[in-house]
Amino acid sequence: MKFAHFADVHLGSWRDPKLSNASTEAFMKAVGICYQQNVDFIIISGDFFNTALPSIDCLKEVAKKLKEIKDKSIPVYAIAGSHDFSPTGKTMLDVLENAGLLVNVMRGSVVDNKLQLNFTVDEKTGAKITGVIGKKGMLERKYFESLDREKLEAESGFKIFMFHTAVSEFKPKGLEKMDSTPLSEFPKGFDYYAGGHVHEPYKREYGRGLIANAGPLFPNNFRELEKLGCGGFYIVEKKNILNADFQQIMVHGVFSISVDCSHKSAREVEAEIIEGISDKSFDNAIVTIRLEGALESGKPSEINFKSIYDMLYAKSAHFVMKNTAALTSSEFEEIKTVAQSVEETEEAVIKEHLGQFKAALPDDELLLTKSLMNALNTEKAEGETTAIFEGRVKEDASRILRVRM
Amino acid sequence: MIAGQVISGSFDSVVVRQKSDAKLEIGQLLTANTAEGKILMQVFNLVYGSQLSQQNLEMISGMKLESDNDLELMDAELRNYTLAFLKPLLIVRENSVSPCKTLPEFFSNVNELAMEDVKFLEKPDNPLLIGNLRSGSRIVDAEVYLNGADVFSHHVLIAAQTGRGKSNLMSCLIWNALQNDYAGFLILDPHDEYYGRNHNGLKKSEKVAYYSTNPPAGARTLTINLSKIRPSHFSGVTFWSEPQREALYAYYRKYRARWIEAVLAEEDESLKSLFHEATISVIRRRLQQLLNLEIANNEIYAKGIFDAAAGISTVADIADDVEKAMAVIVDTSSLSSQTEILVGSIIASELFSRYQNYKSAGQLRDKPVASIVLEEAPRVLGKDALEQGANVFSRIAREGRKFKTGLIAITQLPSVIPRQILANMGTKIILGIEMAPERKAIIESAAQDLSQDDKAIASLDIGEAIVTSTFSKFAVPVKTPLFDEIAANTKTDYRTEFVGLHS
Repeated sequence: MKFAHFADVHLGSWRDPKLSNASTEAFMKAVGICYQQNVDFIIISGDFFNTALPSIDCLKEVAKKLKEIKDKSIPVYAIAGSHDFSPTGKTMLDVLENAGLLVNVMRGSVVDNKLQLNFTVDEKTGAKITGVIGKKGMLERKYFESLDREKLEAESGFKIFMFHTAVSEFKPKGLEKMDSTPLSEFPKGFDYYAGGHVHEPYKREYGRGLIANAGPLFPNNFRELEKLGCGGFYIVEKKNILNADFQQIMVHGVFSISVDCSHKSAREVEAEIIEGISDKSFDNAIVTIRLEGALESGKPSEINFKSIYDMLYAKSAHFVMKNTAALTSSEFEEIKTVAQSVEETEEAVIKEHLGQFKAALPDDELLLTKSLMNALNTEKAEGETTAIFEGRVKEDASRILRVRM
Repeated sequence: MIAGQVISGSFDSVVVRQKSDAKLEIGQLLTANTAEGKILMQVFNLVYGSQLSQQNLEMISGMKLESDNDLELMDAELRNYTLAFLKPLLIVRENSVSPCKTLPEFFSNVNELAMEDVKFLEKPDNPLLIGNLRSGSRIVDAEVYLNGADVFSHHVLIAAQTGRGKSNLMSCLIWNALQNDYAGFLILDPHDEYYGRNHNGLKKSEKVAYYSTNPPAGARTLTINLSKIRPSHFSGVTFWSEPQREALYAYYRKYRARWIEAVLAEEDESLKSLFHEATISVIRRRLQQLLNLEIANNEIYAKGIFDAAAGISTVADIADDVEKAMAVIVDTSSLSSQTEILVGSIIASELFSRYQNYKSAGQLRDKPVASIVLEEAPRVLGKDALEQGANVFSRIAREGRKFKTGLIAITQLPSVIPRQILANMGTKIILGIEMAPERKAIIESAAQDLSQDDKAIASLDIGEAIVTSTFSKFAVPVKTPLFDEIAANTKTDYRTEFVGLHS
């Protein structure tokens, strides 16, 4: 038995045109490796899409690829991740499933408020697959708490448990603050625990099998580009023992420049960057420039990024991006920012303003605010009329606020 | 109701003749009216009194025993009686209470406690329910509260012998505090009794996180990453010679988060030249044994709770939860005593250091008190333990209240804790103690004068306590609640909406 374990494909994640195809390209490359490796099936542990309503172009390409996979008799089993769901619980995975292009394995019923999952059996290998979806705001924690583990544990055969949540015990360095689910909530005795959500791959022995988190197929933000360089997935093979090999997917190389600007002038920083890149060629790589610290003199705007960018593009860089969030100037009022990603910045700002809304709230204020922002951060889909779009946004918001509009 | 009359004595020992139909008890609260207000007093001793000489009493007893058992004395209640010795506690006025500085008048009546006498027992800010007021063994319908934030930040000592209801009291206090947000708790639980794996326990509260080497569903695995250990965490855990200590710190300075891996797995020529080979070998062997690690093919394999790969966020997650005014229970029942103290030391250091930083950043006021529950406290606060050098717990005992960090030290041997540390414990909750030296240690370090209360402490029944605190007006006798009753009245019920489930 051999199968591929993908997670966090985040199709359509980058907005910049130069990177918008990167996650789709990574998916195509990964599928190519699956063909070469003759996998029996593919599992996708959540966040296949970056949004609940992906663009038609993205969907078209993905549907085509899934059809190709199907025609090669390679089943695709998936669970939804936190990005796959609209606030009203709609997911494009349902559309793909109804078209017969993949199977959503979170199946079952609720008996006495206990979640009783059923197994989806892979016909060719007999592998029994089930899992729990990921939801925004860690709502999947309630699913785990309600899980009828005994029923799952009693099942015999080769079993795979898919999940889209951080495991408390295995949170990687740098992501310690991530909400998580403890291992004790997982059913025991599975052969392979296929994880997603944490954008950093790992695998560990657990019980009689392995627990693995595949990480993204392609980095999803500036920090991931710096830290991971590239994404990947696991090829899992069961012979005498179970083995999971990580397969790197290289769409573009990544060259990261990081400068501590403390005690330097804007001109000196610019010179340092130029000196660091002058003897290099970038061969279609993505270049990240992170500037941190307090400039001794000059303003950040005095660093001539345009000339740096021009130089990098002239040296065949595919895309250049910079992060100056932690760069300050002694000529300006100091701006304190600890947060690194957009999500962290948003959360920090929300936390600063908690407690100002006096009406009774149906949920934790932080969670509610994040859910509402997520619901309102939507665009009119292609072909959607204004009235339908308005209705959808109102429906999402009213569901979150638990009010009728 | 009249219980007796003042007949003699001194300020610290007012003698009262008991009325024949009153049945006074050690620890009973009584009042006497004065022009200034009511004096609240407490019985600390009872003796026989008689108008007959000892010779006559012996004669009468002999007659009753040897010949006529029905022999009755004339006016028996006038001739033989009980004398009670009382200590004045407070003077209760219309709108205030203050320490008592006068004596009740000769022949003034002494009354049993009435509800109106204890109206001064108010609910403070951050109310922490200690129990019901107790007068002797009688439970008074008046609840005793202290300001929980003050109590927990100024350390608590719970002194009792086994079986006197320490765990019940501790569970009740934490349960009650969790109803508010003024304190978070780190409970190092060597007997795995607080969570309530198979019985009623704190698990019924939604504000409880549980870490164990064998976690039930919903709990976290107790795994700590090696990168979170610092050489200072071993203070109080094990003794290192000076060269060994220097070697530990040298590795830490050079390798920081990777220092243990460096000691165990790497050959470092530059450090080897600074220290004797035997020193490095000893620290390597002892670290391996203390942390329960195995080295094979230059790889570190975890055999216990310390891991080279997992558990990176455990310590931070625990500290985060305490900061959220939750109770974090760490089940250390399967760990050796050394490992247990090491785990406690790692987590307590993280908490204390965070709170020190909050103070310097001006953020301390917004934080709940961080309170660390230490069972068998002399293991880290005892004279023997401290002879090996200061540890994080003794530092917290000395300096913690400035940083809203407190200890709840539980012990049956308060006498082995140095006086200086005992004196720093602002609140002492005394359950039954049979051993005289232990009672003496508590009495000498109490916030109120308990010099007359040796018998009262010795006679405390299960669930009965005396609370002496810098935050109470007097040493309050209480009956602690029963945790089983509290837990039985708590229901956890929620319904989950299962979105995304396919049939």
